Amino acid sequence: MRPRWGSIVLWGGLLVYPLVVSFTDSGDFLQDVGASLVLSAIGACAWNIVGGYAGQVSVGHAIFFGAGAYVPLLAYELFQAPPLIGVPFGIVVAVAMAALIGLPTFRLQGHYFSMATIAVAELIRLVVGNWDLVGAAIGIQGPATPRAWWDLIFRSAVPYYYIFLAVLALTVYITWAMARSRFGYYLRAIRAGERAARSLGVQVRRTKLMALMLSAALTSVAGSLYAIKVGFVNPESGLGILVSVQMIITAALGGAGTLYGPIIGAIILVPLQSATNTWFGGSGSGLTYILYGGIIMLLARFEPGGFVELWHQVGPRLLRLLRARAKTERARAA
Amino acid sequence: MILLQAAVGGLLLGAVYALFSSGLTLIWGMMNFINFAHGEFVMLGMYVALLVTWVNLGPEVFGPAAAVALMLLGVIVYMGLIKHVMRGPMLSQILSTFGLALLLRYSAFYIFKSDFRTLPDTALSGTLSLGGIYVSRAQLLAGLLAGVLALGMHVLLTRTALGSRLLAVAEDRNAAMLMGIRPDRMQALAWGLSAASAGIAGALMAIAYPFSPSVGETFALTAFVVVSLGGFGSVPGAMIAGFIIGLVEALAGYLIGPIYKDVIVYGLFVAVLWIRPQGLLGTG
Amino acid sequence: MLLEAQKVSRAFGSLLALSEANLSVGEGEIVGLIGPNGAGKSTFFNCVAGDLEPTSGSIRFNGVDVTRAPAEQHALLGVGRTFQVPATFEDMTVLDNVMVGAFLRHYRRVDAHAKAMEVLRLTGLEAQADLRARSLGTPGRKRLEIARVLASEPKLMLLDEALAGLTPAEIQRAIELVHHIHALGITNVIVEHIMEVILTLAQRVLSDVVNDPQVIEAYLGHRRHARRERRA
Repeated sequence: MRPRWGSIVLWGGLLVYPLVVSFTDSGDFLQDVGASLVLSAIGACAWNIVGGYAGQVSVGHAIFFGAGAYVPLLAYELFQAPPLIGVPFGIVVAVAMAALIGLPTFRLQGHYFSMATIAVAELIRLVVGNWDLVGAAIGIQGPATPRAWWDLIFRSAVPYYYIFLAVLALTVYITWAMARSRFGYYLRAIRAGERAARSLGVQVRRTKLMALMLSAALTSVAGSLYAIKVGFVNPESGLGILVSVQMIITAALGGAGTLYGPIIGAIILVPLQSATNTWFGGSGSGLTYILYGGIIMLLARFEPGGFVELWHQVGPRLLRLLRARAKTERARAA
Repeated sequence: MILLQAAVGGLLLGAVYALFSSGLTLIWGMMNFINFAHGEFVMLGMYVALLVTWVNLGPEVFGPAAAVALMLLGVIVYMGLIKHVMRGPMLSQILSTFGLALLLRYSAFYIFKSDFRTLPDTALSGTLSLGGIYVSRAQLLAGLLAGVLALGMHVLLTRTALGSRLLAVAEDRNAAMLMGIRPDRMQALAWGLSAASAGIAGALMAIAYPFSPSVGETFALTAFVVVSLGGFGSVPGAMIAGFIIGLVEALAGYLIGPIYKDVIVYGLFVAVLWIRPQGLLGTG
Repeated sequence: MLLEAQKVSRAFGSLLALSEANLSVGEGEIVGLIGPNGAGKSTFFNCVAGDLEPTSGSIRFNGVDVTRAPAEQHALLGVGRTFQVPATFEDMTVLDNVMVGAFLRHYRRVDAHAKAMEVLRLTGLEAQADLRARSLGTPGRKRLEIARVLASEPKLMLLDEALAGLTPAEIQRAIELVHHIHALGITNVIVEHIMEVILTLAQRVLSDVVNDPQVIEAYLGHRRHARRERRA
C-alpha cells in the first residue's frame, strides 16, 4: 500500500486529537465528542461494506448495532459477566439476523432487501420494547462501577477514544483488504451491474449474503463499544431507525463505496450534530433530522458519490489554481 | 361477536390500506421505484384535513383538499428529484425518497408536535349498529369511500385512455414514446396520482382515527407489506392484500394484544418474502 | 458439438417469443445468427447464455445439460457473452472491469492482474487501463466488454450485436479482434444484422430463429449466391 499524505494526516490527526484538545478549556467535552466521532465512523465503515461497496442499501442496520449493544449488557444483567464476554455472542446474533434477512431477499430485486431491513428492524424494536427479560421500554444497564479492568469503565473518554480508534483502524484495514480481493471486486461488480456480473461467473446471491454478514458483524462490534462506553441501552438508542439513518448518512456524505468516505462523513457530521444540539437545545434533535433529510436528498440528487467524489472532480482544478497562484507570487517576489 | 366486530373494523381499515398501497405499487410497477416517503404522504393528507378544520371548512373538503395538495406535491417531487435520480445508482434512488421522508416527518414533528390528535366532532361522529355489530360512523365512511376510490383507481388504469397511456409507459417506455406518449409526463402524472391516493387515504383516516407525525413510518411499512403481498406492480393485488392485512392486523390485535399487531404484520412480511415473494398477483 | 440447443422455446405470459429454435455449434466454428429485430434472436441468445430459462427445449454445452442452469454456471463452464447495450461497469476502471472477468479463473489478485493486463494488450486497451469505463465511447465500451469476457477464458463467446453502431473503420478493427479470438481457439456465435459483417466473419450463417422463408428472402436480398444454410 502506497501511503498517501492524505491518509497519513488523517490518522496522525486522529491519533493526537485527544492530547491536543486536552489543552483547551472544554477538553473533556471535546474528547467525548471525539470518541463519538470515531464510533460513528466505525458504524459507517461497517455499513459501507454492504451499502457502499455492494450497493445493497440496508435501512435497518440498527438490528446489528442493537444486537451488539444488547447482548453484552444482557450478559452482565443476567449472569453478572463482564460485558466484554458478550461481544462475540452479539456478533453471532447479528450475523444470524443477517442471514435471516439476506437469504430470502437477495434472490429478489433490490427494493425487497431495503424494505425488509426496515420492517425487521421495526419488528425487533417492538418485540424488545415489550419484552421484560430484555428490559422492555426501559432498557438495560451495564455495571455502574468497575469490578476489574475488563469491565472497561473509565471516567475519562480518552481510553474509550483509543480503543475505538484501534477498532476503526482494524475496520478500515479489513475494508481495504476486502476491496482489493476477488470478493471485493465481485461486490463492486454487483453494484455496477448485476446482470453483467452474473455473466462473468459472479455468484451474486452468495456474495451479497457474505457482504451483509461481514457488515453485520462489524456493526455489532460498534454497538458493543457503544454499550460499553455509555453503559446503557434501550430500544430507541439501540434499535431505533435513527441509528440506521446515522450510519447511512455518515457513509454517504463522505462517500459510499470509498475507503475513507465514512470517516470523512463522521468528521463532518458528528461535530455538526454536537453543535446543533447545543444551539437548539432539547428540540435540537428534531431540527437535526430535518437537516439530515435535506442533506440526504441533496446528496442523492446532486452528488451521490459524496465528498470523496466531489473532491475528485473539484480537487484537481483547485490544486491547479492554488499552484498557479503560488507561482505568480514567487515570480512577483523575484 | 366482538371478534366479528374487530374483523369488520379491520376490513374497513384495510380498504384504506388498499387505497394508499395502490398508489405505491403503481409507481413500483411503472418505474421500478419504491417511494420510501409514501407513508409521509399519507400522514400529510391527515394534516391537510386538520388544516381544513382550522379554516372552518367542513369534512367534505378534506378529501379534495388532500388530493389536490398531495397531487401537487407528488408532481413537484417527481420533477425536482425523482426524474433525476432514476437513472442513477440504487443508492441515490433509495436515499432520495428516504431523505424526503425524514424531511417531511421531522418537519411535521416540529410544526405540529408529536401529540396524537383527533379532528373535531362532526356529523360523522357516533356509532351505527349493523345487525348487532357496532361500527363507528366515521370508520364506516372512511372504509367505504377508500374502497370505492381504490376501485376507481383500478378502473382508471385499465379502462380509460389515460390509464392505458400510463400502463403503456410502464410496459415499454420506448414503444410508448414511439406512439407519441410522453413518458416523462406520464410518470409525473403517476406520481401525482400516487401521492393523491395517499393523501386522500390520510384525510379519510383522519376522520376516524387519531393521528400524529409518527404514523408515517408505520404506514410506510404497512404499504410495503401490502404491495409485497399483493405482488410487484399489481394494483388489484394491492387491493386484495390491503384487505387481508387490515383483517390480520385487527384479528391479531384482538386475539393476541394491540402491541403485537404490528409485530404480526411485519412477521407476515418476512414470511411472504421467504415463501411467496411474487405475492398474490405479481408477475415477478 | 460444443453447443447444442434443441427446440428451445420461451414464452412471456401469452406471448411466444421463441418457438422451437435449434442451433448446433462445433468447436472452433464461427456461426452467425441473423434476423430482423423481434424475431427472437435476443431471446434465444439469452436462453443459451443462461439469462433466461427456456419454457421448453434443451441446451447442452460441452456435454453438460445447462437448460435450467443460471448465468453464473454458464460462465463457469466456459460460456462468455456480451450484451446488446454494453454493460460495462461504468464507475470502475478499464483494468478493474477486466479483472472482474479474470477473477473467474484466477483467485489471487496478482494472477488476475497479470491476466487482465495480458488481455488489455491483446485488445489494444492497455493505454486506457486506468480510465473509468464511462469515459470510453461506445466502440471502446464494446471492446472493453469483449476484453472482460476474454479474461474469463471462455470456450464459447456469444457476441450480441457487438458491431452495431460502429464506423466502418471500427468495424474493421472489431472484425480483426474476432479473428484474433478465433485464432485463440475460442468458438464464436455472432448475432448481427449487418449482413456484410456476418458474411465476412461467419463460416456458417443461420437464420433458423426466423422460420418464415419470405422474411429470409427479403432480408438477404436477392443475392442467391449468399452463403447460407438452413437448418430445419
